[in-house]
Parts: sequence; structure tokens; C-alpha cells
Amino acid sequence: MPKQTKESKTAEMASDKEQSPPILENLEENLKQIQSKLGNSPDLIIRNYESLDHVNHAAAVYINGLIDMERVEDYITHALSLDSLQEKAESVATVLERFSFAKGKALSIGKEKIVEDQNSLLEGLLSGDTMILFQGLTKAISVSTSGGEGRAVTEATTQVNIRGPKDSFTESLGTNLSLVRKRIKNPNLWIETLTIGAVTKTDVSIVHIHGLANEAMLQEFRKKLSEIHVDSILESGYIEQLIEENKYSPFPTIFNTERPDSVAGNLLEGRIALFVDGTPFVLIAPATFFMFFHTVEDYYQRYDVSSLIRILRFMCLLISLFGPAIFVAALNFHQEMIPTPLLINLASQREGVPFPVVIEVLLLEVTFEIIREAGIRMPSPIGQTVSIIGGLVLGQAAVQAGIVSPAMVIVVSLTGISSFATPAFNMALSVRLLRFVITFVSAYMGLYGIAITGLILIAHLCSLRSLGVPYMSPVAPFAAGDQKDIFLRTPLHFMKIRRRLVNLKSSVPGTSAQLRKDNPHEN
Amino acid sequence: MRTKLIGLLTLYLGVSVLLTGCWNSRELNDLAIVSGIGMDKLDDEDGYRVTFQIINPTSSAPSTGASSSQPPVMVISSTDRTIFGALRKASRRMTRQLFFAHTQLMIVGEPLARSGINNLFDIFERSHELRLNTTVLIAKNSDAASVLKLLTALETQPSTGLVKKTQNTSRVWGENRRIGVFEVINGITGEGDFTINGIQIIGSAEEGKKKSSLEQTEAPAGSIMSGLGVFKNGKLISWLNGPESRGTQWLLDKLEETSVNIDSLDRNKDISVNVFYSKTSVKVDLQEGKPVFHIHIREEGSINEAGSFVDLSKEEELEKLKKELAEQTASEVKMALKAAQEKRSDIFNFGNELKRTHPELWKTVKKDWNSVFAEGELDLQVDAYIRGTGMRLKPYFPVEKRE
Repeated sequence: MPKQTKESKTAEMASDKEQSPPILENLEENLKQIQSKLGNSPDLIIRNYESLDHVNHAAAVYINGLIDMERVEDYITHALSLDSLQEKAESVATVLERFSFAKGKALSIGKEKIVEDQNSLLEGLLSGDTMILFQGLTKAISVSTSGGEGRAVTEATTQVNIRGPKDSFTESLGTNLSLVRKRIKNPNLWIETLTIGAVTKTDVSIVHIHGLANEAMLQEFRKKLSEIHVDSILESGYIEQLIEENKYSPFPTIFNTERPDSVAGNLLEGRIALFVDGTPFVLIAPATFFMFFHTVEDYYQRYDVSSLIRILRFMCLLISLFGPAIFVAALNFHQEMIPTPLLINLASQREGVPFPVVIEVLLLEVTFEIIREAGIRMPSPIGQTVSIIGGLVLGQAAVQAGIVSPAMVIVVSLTGISSFATPAFNMALSVRLLRFVITFVSAYMGLYGIAITGLILIAHLCSLRSLGVPYMSPVAPFAAGDQKDIFLRTPLHFMKIRRRLVNLKSSVPGTSAQLRKDNPHEN
Repeated sequence: MRTKLIGLLTLYLGVSVLLTGCWNSRELNDLAIVSGIGMDKLDDEDGYRVTFQIINPTSSAPSTGASSSQPPVMVISSTDRTIFGALRKASRRMTRQLFFAHTQLMIVGEPLARSGINNLFDIFERSHELRLNTTVLIAKNSDAASVLKLLTALETQPSTGLVKKTQNTSRVWGENRRIGVFEVINGITGEGDFTINGIQIIGSAEEGKKKSSLEQTEAPAGSIMSGLGVFKNGKLISWLNGPESRGTQWLLDKLEETSVNIDSLDRNKDISVNVFYSKTSVKVDLQEGKPVFHIHIREEGSINEAGSFVDLSKEEELEKLKKELAEQTASEVKMALKAAQEKRSDIFNFGNELKRTHPELWKTVKKDWNSVFAEGELDLQVDAYIRGTGMRLKPYFPVEKRE
């Protein structure tokens, strides 16, 4: 765990503490109360240790599965077991002496603290601490022994790349934070931890680089988080939806990633990251529209290749958004637009197709969505079967049966594949949704409808904001200096000035953030 | 904010419904794509017989669609005083609505052409479907309908085939040029007269309608581009053929590429020159009331074939050939001008040229330009260059064998 973690409990928790009953002197009574509060759950382990005089009992309490067994064993043997006590029999005669001995021993483990009320005792237990209680004392030693079973750091599964680091976040907050800290070895990487969720008490960490992140933005972010009042936070998606500015927009205004290098890169651009315990997906705000079409690998590959690939991605966005719509519009409204040989070809394919073009599109699109949805939820071996059935059987057979025309299959598959070219899955989902809307409008109004919908979409996109940053920046509002890294990825040595809209403070990379700290009101 | 957005959205959608232009949705299966229109004169009454060549999609595309034994096009005719009336009347015989945005060809039968075509083209400018770049052809010695009924080998679509034929021969042979509706309208409205390409049926027109005619290596019927029809006051008066026709393209600066045979030392016309560049500049002025046409042609070519020995490595030999080429060109140009002057028909845009450069002089001759034109004199200068001799210099047959 990084040592810099700032413990700042919410106000809600402080009020709990006041009502909390103190720890009793009677050890047995204490243990009983703990047991009853946890509903006699069998994973609560209590280990009693007798003292030399058979009076001053002590007990170690922990929850099985949340703790690192090795550390607990090690600690208990040293601090409490009879053997180790016998060696120093004279010095641990009284319970207080024994308490401070045990506390001293805890140093070898790591973090330790003293708790005096039952609520914080329970809270500690539930976050993986081991509690040492003594007969006759109203305080307990809480030793940080959290551990237990967790997934190892593995390769990213949703944001795969060819070149670049292969590690990805896990479900453990501590591991995730350390992965980022390993990348940014700078004391200005500041981490704040809060607890959100009345029932789940999920740890979340706000991470930013002090001096790079905009202070006002950070304040706003903290405020939004503190306004969350829900029972549970099971994934960062909960928080994303709760703090989004435009909750009814189809577009995501908060970015998420499971790649530590992506988080590091965004932090260095002055953005704020939010780590949520229990999920590998880290939120990043403020997010702009174009972020969703960039990948970290753009910066790892050469600039020319990356630029080309970026252009390709934006092309794919247009195809996946407008592809079927333009096809429907051209075939139903603007037949004169199609070159004659192609029109004859299309017309001959459509001979005998019993449906209007728009029904044909919807038929195939819906089929495609079904195959995709089924394929995602299936275990991977069956998933392949689904795609084979979907692709071969449905596609081929539908054409041969004359239900759909072959050109339509091409259009829909191209659209489908294009939608996978968007690196951010949540953006691809939004586009997928809007595609249907645009197809409907184009079936009703042709290219004119596409233009109108396009205008509305652009107007909507320009109205969005993420933590106060215009969503379409730096294109709208236009910032000439920031164009180097939007549609193209210019060579790294061109990018000498930081993004303006996200970062208002220190604009020249290489100048230490620390220098600017002295004068935070600059700019 | 949100109410504003919703308000705007409603406004946009409301406006969009009110402002829609050509937005009627038509399925492809409900359209009969017309590839060619034929116009013919009715024998005994006023009005036209309009023939539509309609693409039959089922048998037109090579794709996996249901292939049928039907021909790639079907042809129907209907008669009316107006073209639009005729096409609407055609609905009585058609299962689908005629669709004209892909009409590439308009053929006018010779009888109709002879009685005048000036008022045929209004619908092309007025309709949003018909295109102004539709190729116009005159069916020489026949009616337009029989040309539209012919099937073509290689090209599935006969109309596409005819358009391609026009383009192809314009590009490499140069007796014709692509003439579209727009150019015809310009010819009708401009000073002087104009020409339109002719197409002639060869073989049996009756056989050419049948699909079986395509199942032979030598089709029993076909069509051939044949010369230029000269239109005076919107009426076809004569045909220009062969060298006259090519000379016309030269004078109009429409020649792209052609092949000219020139004389060698001992035999006539046995050296073939591929003229791949030709530029004509025209100046017209009046001298003592007579027009003088200053024509300067600059052409470049390469020797592509030599039928008898000629030593192309020698400068003087090439010089001779250059002179020959220039003479040959000049003779064709003169033939074209002579033919036009005989008919008193200015098909070379000389009138327009004079009007443009000397408007005050034009006014003096405007009234009887046709007769003035017929007396015009030619001041022709041809600069011919031979830029290449192909992949060898001397022909393989030796000098001795010349005797």
C-alpha cells in the first residue's frame, strides 16, 4: 500500500463513531458481542490465548478469507503465543505490559492502530484487520493484515494492445494504486481515499497529480462524490452514472479504462482518476469525445502509423453511425445518386426480396445484435458456435432464401465490424444505439433526415460538458494548439504544450509541477 | 437547458417535415429504370411515339440473384403529343413507375430529325430526373425504336453499350464526339448550326431483338456509329461521313486521338500515324464583307506502322512524313468545310466565335450569316510533329526489296 494515502473519512462515518458503544473490559462478553453483531457468521475466527497466570486472557479476532494467513500466524506467534511470552516472562506480567508488547510486535507487520469502540473494531475486521483484545482492557490492537484471495495482475482483456505494457488492473484497490504509482514516481501523485455506499462501504480513491490537475475541477469532483448517497457501489459504473453531468445523454462523459498506462497518461494530462475497490475499471474525468477514439498504443507506435489508424477509426465511427442509414436513404430516396451499373446490380439483388429496404436493414441489424449479445454472455467455447451459426447459417441462408439481399449483408457486417473499431466499448454502445435512430429517420426522410439528425447530434455533443470541460474540445470550442493530438497524432516532439482546456495550470511539460505549486493562482 | 434542447429538437423536427424536398420514398423494386429513350415521328398525326428501353434487373446483373432467360431490357412504346404525356401513358402497360435518373441515351429517329427536333429537349431541362448529359444519337435510316430494341454483345445494357461505343470511337478514331443533350440545346440556341452523331443498324433489325442473336460469334445484327448528322434550323439536312466527319472534329477542336494513314515514297497511305495530341485554335474575322477563318492546328503523332521501307532514323525522312501528315490533315479539314459550305450550314461555331470576338462585325452579317458563311475563306495552318517511331526505327524489310 502506498504510504501517502490520506485517510479522510466522511462526515457520515464520524457520526457513527459517536453512537458507537465502547469496548468492554470483559473479554468474553466482548467476543460474544462481536459474534452476535456479525450474526454468528462462521468465517469470524476467534483464537484465545492464555497468559502465564491463566488470568490475563487475550484473543485474536479476524475474518477468514479477508486476511493474509501467513502474516496473522507470524504475528500471533510472536506477540501472543505462550512460547514467546515465556521467553520474556518477567516483562509481560501485567496486562498493560502485555498490550504494549503485542503492539510493539505489530511493528514488524506494518500498520497498526488502537481502537476503542466497537464500530471501528467491526469496520477494521471487515476490511481485513486482525483485532487483538485483552481481558480487562477497553481498547484493542488493530493490525493491518488484509490480504486473502485476489486475482493476480493479468493481461488486459477488454483493452488489448500489440505494443505496450501488458498488465491491467485487478479488483484490489491497493494493487491498482501501486500499479499507477510504479509508473509515476513523483511525490506529487496524490491519493485521497473515501468510503462510499452506506452498506457496502466501498473504498474509492481520487488520484491526481498535484500541480497538474486543476484545483477547481478537483473540488468539483470531490463535491460530486460526497453527494452520492446510495447503499451500494459494486462497480465504478455506479459512480460514473451518479456523477455524470448529463444523465440523459447517450454519450458517456466519463472515461473508463483497465490499463494502468492509460490512467498514468491521463493523470499526466491533468485529469483526475477515480479508483474503486472491487473493480478493475478506473474512471477518468474530465473526458472529451475524442478521448474515446484514442488508445495508449497510438503513442507507442510511430506517429505516421498512429495518425493513419486514428483517421481510420473516425471513418469507422461514421460508417457505424451512418452506414445503414445512408444505404437506406440512397436506395429509397436518392436512386439517382448511385452509379448506373451499381444501381442495376442492387436492383437485381433486390428482385424478389419481400421486404422494404428499411425492414431488411432492421431484420439484419437486430439479428446481428442478438448474435453479438448472445456471444458475449456465452462461455467462450459456445460463443464461437453462436457466431458460426449467426454468421454462416443466418447470413448465408437468409440471402439464399431471398429474404435479404447480399448487399445488405455486406452493409450490416461492415457496420458491425466498424463499431468494433472504436476502442472504448461504452462509446461503441452509444453509437450502436444512435445507429438505429438514424436509420429510422433516414427511412422516413432520406439524406435530409440524416443531415437533420446529424445536426441535432452535433448540437447535443457541443452542449455536453465533463467536469466543466466542453465535451467536443478542442474542436468546439476550437483550440488551434491542441489539434496536434486529435485526428492525427503528430510526432511527440511537436507536443510541447499541454492540453489547454483540461489543464489550466502548468502548460509546459518538463517544468516541474512543484515549481508551480508555490503560485497556484498563476493563470 | 434541457427544455431548451427539447424545444429546439421539436422545432427542428417540425421544420424538417415542412421543408422536405424530393422525399418520396420509393423502393427499388417499384421502379422501372429507363436506360434509353427513343423519339419517333408518327406517320399520320401530330405527336411522338416515345420508346422506353427499360432495364430488367433480374437478368441484368451477373450476381447470384435469380437468373432468368429474359432479355436484359424490355422496350415499350407509347404515343402522345408530349414526352411527359407519353411516359405517363406508358403506365398503362408497365407494372412499375418509369424512373429516368439513369437514362443515358436518347435516340431520335431520322424521319423525326428531318422534320425538326428543336422542341424535344425541354423536358430534359425541366425534369429533376432526366439528365442533361444524356447522350443523343440520330438513328440513321431507321426509327429510334428499332435501335433501342437491338441487343448488344459484351455489354448487357444496350444503352450503356451505345454510349460506350460513342465514347470509345471518339477517343481513338475521332470521327465522332460525345454529344449530350446540353450541347444540343446549346447548338439550338446558339448562332449557326450543329451536328449530332448518327447510329446505323447493320444486319437484320428483326434478328437483333432476339436473345438468341447473341449466341453466335457473329451477331446477325448490330449497330455502327456512322457519321455526323448536320442540323440546320433544327432539321437534319445531310450526313457527314469519314474524312468530312473527322475534319469537323478537327475544326471544332474535339479530336482526342486518331489514326491517319499517309503516303510513303512508293505506296499510297501505307504509313499509319497515331495522332495523340491535337489542338485547334480558331479566329474569325471579316475582310471586305467576307469571313476569313484562321485555323491553326497543332498536332503530334507517332508512327505506329510502316507498310514499306522508310528510314526513320533520318531527319529528312521524318520531315517528309510530317509534311505528309499536315497535308493529309489539311485535306480532311478542307473537305469538312466544303461540305458545310455547300449546305450553307455553319456547324463549326464560327458564327459564335465571330459574335464573341467581334460583336460589332457580327451585327453586320448576322441576318444572312448562312450565305456569308458559305463564301468564307479558309486560312489554314497545320503544324504536325512526329514524336516517336514506336519500338524500332527501320522496318525489318530491307531496302533492296523495295523494287
